[in-house]
Amino acid sequence: MHDIIHQLDKKREAARLGGGQKRIDAQHGKGKLTARERIELLLDEGTFEEWDMFKEHRCVDFGMGEQEKIPGDGVVTGYGTINGRMVFVFSQDFTVFGGALSETHAEKICKIMDKAMQVGAPVIGLNDSGGARIQEGVAALGGYADVFQKNVLASGVIPQISMIMGPCAGGAVYSPAMTDFIFMVKDSSYMFVTGPEVVKTVTHEEVTAEELGGAVTHTSKSGVADLAFENDVDALLMLRRFFNYLPLNNKEKPPVRPTNDPADRLDFSLDTLVPDNANKPYDIKELILKVVDDTDFFEVQPDHAKNIVIGFARMEGQTVGIVANQPMVLAGCLDIKSSIKAGRFVRFCDAFNIPIITFVDVPGFMPGTAQEYGGIIKHGAKLLYAYAECTVPKVTVITRKAYGGAYDVMASKHLRGDVNFAWPSAEIAVMGPKGAVEIIFREEKNDPVKVAEREAEYKAKFANPFVAGARGFIDDVIMPNETRKRICRSLAMLRGKKIENPWRKHGNIPL
Amino acid sequence: MFKKILIANRGEIACRVIKTARKMGIKTVAVYSEADKDAMHVELADESVCIGPPPSKESYLVIDKIIAACKQTGAEAVHPGYGFLSENAEFSRRLEEEGIIFIGPKHYSVAKMGDKIESKKLAIAAKVNTIPGYNDAIDTPEQAVEIAKSIGYPVMIKASAGGGGKGLRVAFSDQEAFEGFASCKNEAKNAFGDDRVFIEKFVEEPRHIEIQLLGDAHGNTVYLHERECSIQRRHQKVIEEAPSPFLDEKTRKAMGEQAVALAKAVNYQSAGTVEFVVGGKDKSFYFLEMNTRLQVEHPVTELITGLDLVEQMIRVAAGEKLAFTQADLKINGWAMECRINAEDPFRGFLPSTGRLVKYIPPPEQHGVRVDTGVYEGGEISMFYDSMIAKLIVHGASRDQAIHKMRDALNQFVIRGVASNISFQAALMQHPRFVSGNFNTGLIAEQYPKGFDAADVPHDDPTMLVAVAAAIHRQYLARNATISGQLPGHEFTPGEHFVVLMGIGQHEVKVSEAHGEPGGWDVAFAGKTYALRSGWQFGEPLYIGTLNGTPICMQVERRGLVYRLFHWGMQADVQVMSAHAASLQALMPVKAAPDMSKFLLSPMPGLLTQIAVAPGQEVKAGEILAKIEAMKMENVLKAERDCVVDKLLAKPGESLAVDQAIIAFK
Repeated sequence: MHDIIHQLDKKREAARLGGGQKRIDAQHGKGKLTARERIELLLDEGTFEEWDMFKEHRCVDFGMGEQEKIPGDGVVTGYGTINGRMVFVFSQDFTVFGGALSETHAEKICKIMDKAMQVGAPVIGLNDSGGARIQEGVAALGGYADVFQKNVLASGVIPQISMIMGPCAGGAVYSPAMTDFIFMVKDSSYMFVTGPEVVKTVTHEEVTAEELGGAVTHTSKSGVADLAFENDVDALLMLRRFFNYLPLNNKEKPPVRPTNDPADRLDFSLDTLVPDNANKPYDIKELILKVVDDTDFFEVQPDHAKNIVIGFARMEGQTVGIVANQPMVLAGCLDIKSSIKAGRFVRFCDAFNIPIITFVDVPGFMPGTAQEYGGIIKHGAKLLYAYAECTVPKVTVITRKAYGGAYDVMASKHLRGDVNFAWPSAEIAVMGPKGAVEIIFREEKNDPVKVAEREAEYKAKFANPFVAGARGFIDDVIMPNETRKRICRSLAMLRGKKIENPWRKHGNIPL
Repeated sequence: MFKKILIANRGEIACRVIKTARKMGIKTVAVYSEADKDAMHVELADESVCIGPPPSKESYLVIDKIIAACKQTGAEAVHPGYGFLSENAEFSRRLEEEGIIFIGPKHYSVAKMGDKIESKKLAIAAKVNTIPGYNDAIDTPEQAVEIAKSIGYPVMIKASAGGGGKGLRVAFSDQEAFEGFASCKNEAKNAFGDDRVFIEKFVEEPRHIEIQLLGDAHGNTVYLHERECSIQRRHQKVIEEAPSPFLDEKTRKAMGEQAVALAKAVNYQSAGTVEFVVGGKDKSFYFLEMNTRLQVEHPVTELITGLDLVEQMIRVAAGEKLAFTQADLKINGWAMECRINAEDPFRGFLPSTGRLVKYIPPPEQHGVRVDTGVYEGGEISMFYDSMIAKLIVHGASRDQAIHKMRDALNQFVIRGVASNISFQAALMQHPRFVSGNFNTGLIAEQYPKGFDAADVPHDDPTMLVAVAAAIHRQYLARNATISGQLPGHEFTPGEHFVVLMGIGQHEVKVSEAHGEPGGWDVAFAGKTYALRSGWQFGEPLYIGTLNGTPICMQVERRGLVYRLFHWGMQADVQVMSAHAASLQALMPVKAAPDMSKFLLSPMPGLLTQIAVAPGQEVKAGEILAKIEAMKMENVLKAERDCVVDKLLAKPGESLAVDQAIIAFK
């Protein structure tokens, strides 16, 4: 008995050391934490329950025999709590075979994912892996596919979050790609399907790993990742904050964190937010910050498709998702990138019972060949589909422009918007006065006096919220200063909302 | 008394005048340009009239429009405030012709004092000290020495056409006068093509001290003591106080009496100010000029005399007699004013315009007064000056006034546009300012290379550590209340933390003060800091007590960082567990990216044009790009010769401040 305990201690010690002190030092030298240090930071102190610490690979080829076995096999898995709430975690250990994924490594991940699905708790993956364990060949590939399959089955059932903290290349990228959010660490992580070497041979492009798939690239250019953090510590501490917004599974309501911010707080500075000049931009984030609890807004994808703003906040303590056109960028119009960005966010919120607040100031869809050739029709339809399909409470506030098809898309009454408000500055119309007059009164277009008259006429008729109000497309015209109060009341009223979409295997979103 | 007056001004002074008129039961009319449609003074006035487009030349400075507005509204009198038409003799004459009363001096007084030469002659005639000097061109060095001797050393030898420090010499002896004259004449000839040279008394360690006057139409004139306005930046007053820490009773009386004599010489009937330069070494004083209007800094005089100067101006204009005599005018305590400007002290005092996203002035109580013309959500327009408020305090002593001012600056929240509050706070704790031993050169001498964050040391940074620790602990306490926790395994915040501020690390223990909600005791470095506050997340001001002493700190949460602002210092502080801090120590220190090879946007705006292409060689001074901000076109030029590498932004793009536009090779 004593002997066994002694062995156990030895084994634990070996497992904790991973690939050995030298490799740990090398990991630190790169400014990276070890797999276990990362878990310690992410979870509440002392709550980590580790599984499969002694699991070993079964490969015997290419010198991977007995002496090349390291307990744990390159990934630390288990569960614990973040602010007392349950979460499953896997953390790839770069010190063990470069974090390469083996069949057994994949089994460990699958094991916690299965359990997470059974108990209804999110899975967080901390990725730091050189790729597949090549010595294993197809066994490792099978391991990847097993994880992919579990990612897909878990999608929409439990939140899945990936934090890329080192390399993540080739097939390995598709597990994070399947999860709900991807975060990255600047300068020490990258993601790509094929690396710079292959790119060079195939397309003759010279590009660094950082440029090809670094955190900045993916959070600004490609939109693959949602947030980039300065270093491991920042990333993990921010991930703790992010986790506080999410429900544990699709059957739960989002968490409530009590606040002292009064639900009926008025903010008169909002009355002057929208400038008189319809072409002058303003920062929609000011509105978001002044409306939500404690001026606390957790924005995601802040550097990608900046013409739309998305993120989480709380109203009366309850998590809400915010979608807002940003007049500061491209006049807030919808284009391919912003439609995809917002569409995916809306679907996440819908899947996890998070009410959606939409702030609308949209002049329409972006025109041009680049957009049309790029498929704006299908991509714009994603956002439309997402809003139309969505059954969570939807509260919409039109602050200024709501023109054309973009008006319909942005959580309009017609797409089952529950409460649709308009500020007095709202203009709900097919298009701006200038464009409208050029079409309706085509024959007068060479007469500037008449054009101006017609424009004024069109403006007087449609550049206000009343026409839409008369049809019931707008539930009420509210003063900007009372926006928080009115949204809070609407959300309170909607707390028991229940609607169901018709039964089907699944819809066919225009992918 | 008047039934209705018009205020021919905008901003804080218009609001200030309206307040007094309202107190006196007089109706008010505001005038405004199109840019000021939603301005506070329009909101406050009983009536308002739009007088044209934003540029003041087309609105606030157009006499006909003001007169038309008076007629339209039936205003009987006009208060001009300061600036704009306040010292325009033509304006006051025209009003007189139209039978409208100008709330200010008679136009002849304005005209006489508006002329530099004539005012000096009047001053000499009224036996007011003027700077001794020889006002005709001097021919020979010998003559120069004679004159210098007769004036008395030190003297200033200056070229008639001089400017920008050129053609100026200070001489302390015959020899220096002799040599200085020759070199000055030479330099003047070379630099300006005009070798006329004059000599006048050089005032050492000059202070700017002015006397406030009040005269009525019945021959009564009194002085309301002095204001010290020596704290100036590039000839713009920054801080004013009353009384002056420098004057003695005798000098004060002499200056006051001379000022009154001068006012009487022009039959001055209103509030006015006589400016003197006072020698910091010998208390000699010399007349500079007379300002025939209400001054920006008049509130400090109001606070020490208890008089409302606007009310007095209105009463005098209505023909009333002054209700007091010189003997009634005592100095009560100490008053101080900080001009709060929309400018960025850390960027060379560049004016800042835009939306006031947050604007919370300190409450007007316990001797704090705020004269302001803006409100939260309002716009700081590029069309007018950058002063948005005046923060004025009144205390029993100068030290008390400084103390109050420091506290009030802590409480002044301005977001959306930059403000000079940090700079004001730095001055308020500058030993030379606090000692009272300063002159008009203080700012130029103390901040020769401009102002930066290192110029605002904090008396006691441990306060920042304690507040950050308490706030973080409060954050964790709230997290512990989140729903959905595993029963029996709930989150407990713990007590031990490490506070990271700059390069410093502080181990702290934070415990909840029992029976005192919002109370935290922070222990570190052998001391305990008892913080008591009702502060809640989202509030910009942490107001409470620290070990029983009131404390007010500005707090902003930015991701994991708490940004604290106190006594002018801004500190980014992080608080984490000891374990996290030990791991944080392993994180690489990333050098800030070298931005010298980039053209950065100096302001938020719209990129309208890029004038260069990749690969192009550019010479210093050539135009690189144009940015439109606040309807103004800003041209960005190359600072040195360079080659364009890449264009990083496209015309039509909205730029954030410091966003890279062009990369150079």
